[in-house]
This record gives sequence, C-alpha cells and structure tokens, in this order.
Amino acid sequence: MAATVVTESHDAHDGHGHLETNTGMSNNKLAMWLFLASDCLLFGALISTFLLYRTNISDNSPFQEPADIFDIPFTSLSSFILLMSSLTMVLSLSAVKRDNERSARIWMLTTAFLGMIFVGGQVFEFTEFVEKGLGYSTNTWSSAFFTLTGFHGVHVSVGILMLFGTVFGTRKSGLGKEKSETVELVGLYWHFVDIVWVIIFTIVYLIPIG
Amino acid sequence: MAVTETPVEAHEEHDDHAHDHPSDRTYVGIALILAVLTAVEILLFVIEDDIARSLNKVLLIGLMVIKFYIVGAYFMHLKFDNPILTQLFMAGLVLAVVVYFVMLSAFEFNFWNDGFCDTGLPAASELGGDDFFANENCSS
Repeated sequence: MAATVVTESHDAHDGHGHLETNTGMSNNKLAMWLFLASDCLLFGALISTFLLYRTNISDNSPFQEPADIFDIPFTSLSSFILLMSSLTMVLSLSAVKRDNERSARIWMLTTAFLGMIFVGGQVFEFTEFVEKGLGYSTNTWSSAFFTLTGFHGVHVSVGILMLFGTVFGTRKSGLGKEKSETVELVGLYWHFVDIVWVIIFTIVYLIPIG
Repeated sequence: MAVTETPVEAHEEHDDHAHDHPSDRTYVGIALILAVLTAVEILLFVIEDDIARSLNKVLLIGLMVIKFYIVGAYFMHLKFDNPILTQLFMAGLVLAVVVYFVMLSAFEFNFWNDGFCDTGLPAASELGGDDFFANENCSS
C-alpha cells in the first residue's frame, strides 16, 4: 500500500513559513526579489544617463573636472559607513534567527543610524556643491549627478524608515524567530541599496573622465 | 509499505540547504574583505601616473564587480538561497545593462575616452542656442 507523507517542511517559526507555493519559498521574498530586479532597471537608466552626460560640463560650471569638486576622502568614508551598515544588517538577521530579540533590535538601530550618517553626508555634500555654484540645472552633468545620487539617497531614506518601522512596529508583538522573514526582506532592500552605491561610487566618483 | 515523496518534501530538503547560512564571524570576515577592497579602490584613485590611470579603470570596475558579487552572494544570501532568486536578479541586471548599452550605442557613446561625440542632432549653436553638448575631445 502506498502512503503519501506530507511533511510541513516550512514550519511557521522559521520565517520562511509558506509551504503552499510552487517555488517552495515565501511569496513575499519572491516579490521583494522581483522588486529589486525591476529597481535594477531604474538605476540602470539613471547610471546610463549619467554616463551619457558625464562630459557635458558647461563653461558656467565651477569646475573643469568633477574630480576638482569631489571630496573623495569624505565620500570614501561615507561609502565605508554604508558598506558596514550591510554588516550590521546581516548581523541583525542572524540574531533574529537565533531568537535573540535584543541583539536584533540593537543591530537594526545601528544600521539605521549608519544609514542616517550616510544620508547626512550626502546632504552635506549637496549643500557644499550648491554653495560652490553647482546647482541642479547648472549643466547636464550636474542634473544627471543630482538625479542619480539623489534617487539613491531617497532609497536609503526609505530603508531607514523600513528599519525604524520594523523595530518600533514590533514592540508589542516582539521580534522573535517568527519575524525573521520580515527582517530578511528589509535586509534584502538594504543590501541592494548598498550594492547600487558600490556601482555609483566607482563610476561617478572614482573613474576619471578621459 | 512504500512511501511516496511529495514536492513538499523536496522543498524541505532544499530549504535545509538554504538555512545553512554563514556564521557571524564569517560575516565580519566578509565585511573586512569589503573594507580592504574599498581601500584598494581609493589607492588606485590616488595614483597619478598616466599609464596606471588608464589601467585603473579596468581595475576599479573589476573591484566593483567583486564587491557587488560578495554583497549579493553572502549578505543577500544568493549563494545559499534558491537559485531561482539569483536567476531573477541576474535577469533584471542583465536586462538593464543590455538595454542601456544598446541605448548608449545609439549615441556613439565611448565610455573609455570621451563620453559621446556625435548625437546625430544639429548643434545647439546652429539653432541659435549655446552649444551645450559640444565635446572638445571629439573630432568634428
């Protein structure tokens, strides 16, 4: 006699608890990856536009080469901070999976704090540029630059809101192992924002024109 | 008594593998590697030598790709998760790169030297405006 054994492989507490899906993984996780794949197209468009206009620096520009206006040590430091925020984010997920709620909250708040330093640095950089005479409409280079880095800054800000929402929105329900998928989804978004900055930092700031 | 495996069991086996994520110590090690790679990038930027500068572009892009891979594979767990997620993400990434390089090629774009030269459009000066898009690096 044949018997069919159906094992509930994805128990509700492991954070991947959606067993009735064709892929065998959470629909939420799949949806987040679909969103990230589509976000690649958005940043692809913005980066391409920047590459296209990277040499269009008009006469009224306060600099001859972007390197003249960039403060590379400062941007490198903020890039490093964002990179390390990916570490704190993944440590937060690791803590949630171990059911260590306190550590998870601390690491998530640390991630949000590092993100705020990054965004603060970007606001400072933008302010410096404007004070030196480089506005959004000064030339096509500046329009492409502000649009690309500004959109990234908005993504980081949304990530910070997601982190705070997760930390403070789970005060009553708790941030135990059963919430690991929520933390994982926020983490995926955060890491995506990080890898986009890896590309922006190299292409916009480090690779010289000509 | 014969026992028939269901697809659910197959998922279980897969997810057992999927949960085999690195330890915190490994994550810290990966972050240190990323920090070192970033430091190397900045060092390459600082080098003033002309020959080194032209080589730098290749090296900087190489380092960028390595950092991208490390964050994607380890921090985003693509190396340990269901391969369908990697395929999904790569599809978006490849589509973005292909579509926009095709678009850029329409402008005779030259990433390595001087941006784009000939847009195929009349010069702005010919239309009574500033020649905003003029590129001194391009031969006329």
